[in-house]
Amino acid sequence: MADTICRTLRDGGLEGEHAPALTIKDSKASPFGFDVFNYVLTQLSNYILAGKSQSRGLVVVAYSRSPSFYVDLLKRRGIDIASSHDWIHILDCYTDPLGWKNWLIDKDISQEASSLSSFCQDVRNLDKLYSLIIEQGKGLIGQGKDRFSIAIDSVSEMVRHASISSVAGILSNLRSHDQVSSIFWLLHSDLHEIKFTSVLEYLSSMVASVEPFNQAAFGQRVDLENLSMLEQNFRKGKFHVRFKRRNGRVRVMASNLHQFCLKMK
Amino acid sequence: MKAAQTPHKKEVPCVFGRPPQLPITKIIRLSAALLARHRRCSTPTAALSLPPRVCSLRPESLSCRLSTIYSWHFTGKTKLCSVDAAMATTKPRLSSFSRNLSAVSSSQTPGVKCGPNGTMFVSSGIADLDKILGGGFPLGSLVMVMEDAEAPHHMLLLRNFMSQGLVHGQPLLYASPSKDPRGFLGTLPSPASLKHDKSRDRESEQEKGLRIAWQYKKYMGENQPNFDSHRDNKQDYCNEFDLRKPLERHYFTRQRVNCVGIQDSKNLAALQEHCASFLAQHQRNDGSCALAGRIAIQSLCAPQCEHSNMDWEMLSFIKSLKGMVRSSNAVVVITFPPSLLSLSSTKRWQHMADTLLSVAAIPDEDKELAKLLSGYQDMVGLLNVHKVARLNTQVPLILEATTFSIKLQKRRFLVLECLNQAPVDGSSGSSYGTSGSCSGSSKAGTLDF
Repeated sequence: MADTICRTLRDGGLEGEHAPALTIKDSKASPFGFDVFNYVLTQLSNYILAGKSQSRGLVVVAYSRSPSFYVDLLKRRGIDIASSHDWIHILDCYTDPLGWKNWLIDKDISQEASSLSSFCQDVRNLDKLYSLIIEQGKGLIGQGKDRFSIAIDSVSEMVRHASISSVAGILSNLRSHDQVSSIFWLLHSDLHEIKFTSVLEYLSSMVASVEPFNQAAFGQRVDLENLSMLEQNFRKGKFHVRFKRRNGRVRVMASNLHQFCLKMK
Repeated sequence: MKAAQTPHKKEVPCVFGRPPQLPITKIIRLSAALLARHRRCSTPTAALSLPPRVCSLRPESLSCRLSTIYSWHFTGKTKLCSVDAAMATTKPRLSSFSRNLSAVSSSQTPGVKCGPNGTMFVSSGIADLDKILGGGFPLGSLVMVMEDAEAPHHMLLLRNFMSQGLVHGQPLLYASPSKDPRGFLGTLPSPASLKHDKSRDRESEQEKGLRIAWQYKKYMGENQPNFDSHRDNKQDYCNEFDLRKPLERHYFTRQRVNCVGIQDSKNLAALQEHCASFLAQHQRNDGSCALAGRIAIQSLCAPQCEHSNMDWEMLSFIKSLKGMVRSSNAVVVITFPPSLLSLSSTKRWQHMADTLLSVAAIPDEDKELAKLLSGYQDMVGLLNVHKVARLNTQVPLILEATTFSIKLQKRRFLVLECLNQAPVDGSSGSSYGTSGSCSGSSKAGTLDF
């Protein structure tokens, strides 16, 4: 089922249509959202490298992990960045998001990562961030009519520094940009009010939620009876996806997910 | 009173009521005589149309007396009389005591129709919706459409509304949270070609012979005469729009179309000013209507707008807009996603509306729903009518059904249909289809004499 999501992102949007947008939503009861995000990122990278996707490049807006993490992640998954990295760019909003360090020693970041990342030192200015993302994306795909995809590490981090309306504005503008093929982001739903989660669901065309395997175990006092259920919750989860189809109908799919291999059963 | 005969294979005589001067007893006697005459001729149906004031004064006594004469179905409080009664409905989607909608518009203004109680209507752009609402959107009213976050059906309603206005040459003000509101005009549908209308009639005529008539109500609506029988697109009160064919550019370059973006402004003051100046050009003077205007505001509380978290400011804007439109010859349609507002704000917005509609998505490939509803495969969504504008009268409009399915015929033409239950197992069954919500269960009709 995760492959269905990846294929939808791979196929991108039609001419004149907003780009498909995926929200990956999790909570502390089932904290596998980041694993899902990594899986989708890896799959999309494979499609881009194989030339099977509408997009020709990928811009990763990294808020909660450093660029080095993503380089290592892609290496572990067998994607060789060293040979060609003109298809991916990482916008580093992790190292110095508020511009506190007036100097930056390049040694802090690996050489490999520094060659395909650039700093964003004011994450509060989302207009500037929007321009940076578009600029980096166009830099990857050149002058033609090609498109690029965008992955946002965590909108939960993004909204810490900016208002809901400005976050909604930048996401909506990115979706409606002609050269954006697809966009996906991660959200930790229990960090926010329901309104923010509703806003993101309103803006996205696919909502993938990770839920605890044993709903009943969550929130209860830890004792021997529900300990095993709690343990299960940290190894497995349930995966629900809602697709907003072009004909106006909603397709609902559900499956289980396993933490370590992220195999959708 | 006159009994009109409609040009159709099976004659469906209709009796049109006059204004309340006619005594009710006379109506009943005349109806009985009419029915007796048609029973002799083996005509299956008779229809009675009465002015609303008659119904409101003595509904119970009138319906009581009439029900003893007629073997037809009264909606609401009355019971199903017999299976034959399923065939005998006046307008399938309105109260049995429906007002006379066949009155030719005495208004000279194109696209404006006179209605009861001194109101004037403009078409919503969807013929089925006009019928449901009793003629269209009344001039001077505020229509609000509650969006579903999972489906873009409100855009279908907006597109048809805007296109209808442009085809009639009615000025339009469109406000949207997108970066390029003018770009939306390129997605407006064009009126269907005349060729299509003729071939569709022929097709439907042919298909009638093949149908198994077990849901009579659905087909009775098609047997109704088309009073607007002339074929010129511009003169039609309500056009049929082909969603796959874009509206010709001369409609919105030549006409006065003003597009306003609401994403970048800090508050609603600019939009309020635009609306005020637009409505000032359409002030109502002595009941005459020079030209009707239309305002369409899409997703008023969209999250990317800065004013989206200013609850009281948005409410105040709606209130002032409602006040301004009341004294003008214009209609305002506002769509908004209630999931992004607090519950109390949503309630307040709902109360502000004169006409309140909502759209809802339906699940895809849902086998249970497919078993429950007929025509599920053609449905794209649902439309609920929560409130219908009633200006200059205290009489409410009681609808036979409030939930309708949104379908795209041949993926081009928007139609609204009553929900009908899918056929149950033939051995058990009643041949009468009940209308109800998705989760509603059918009740077998009881025989009542």
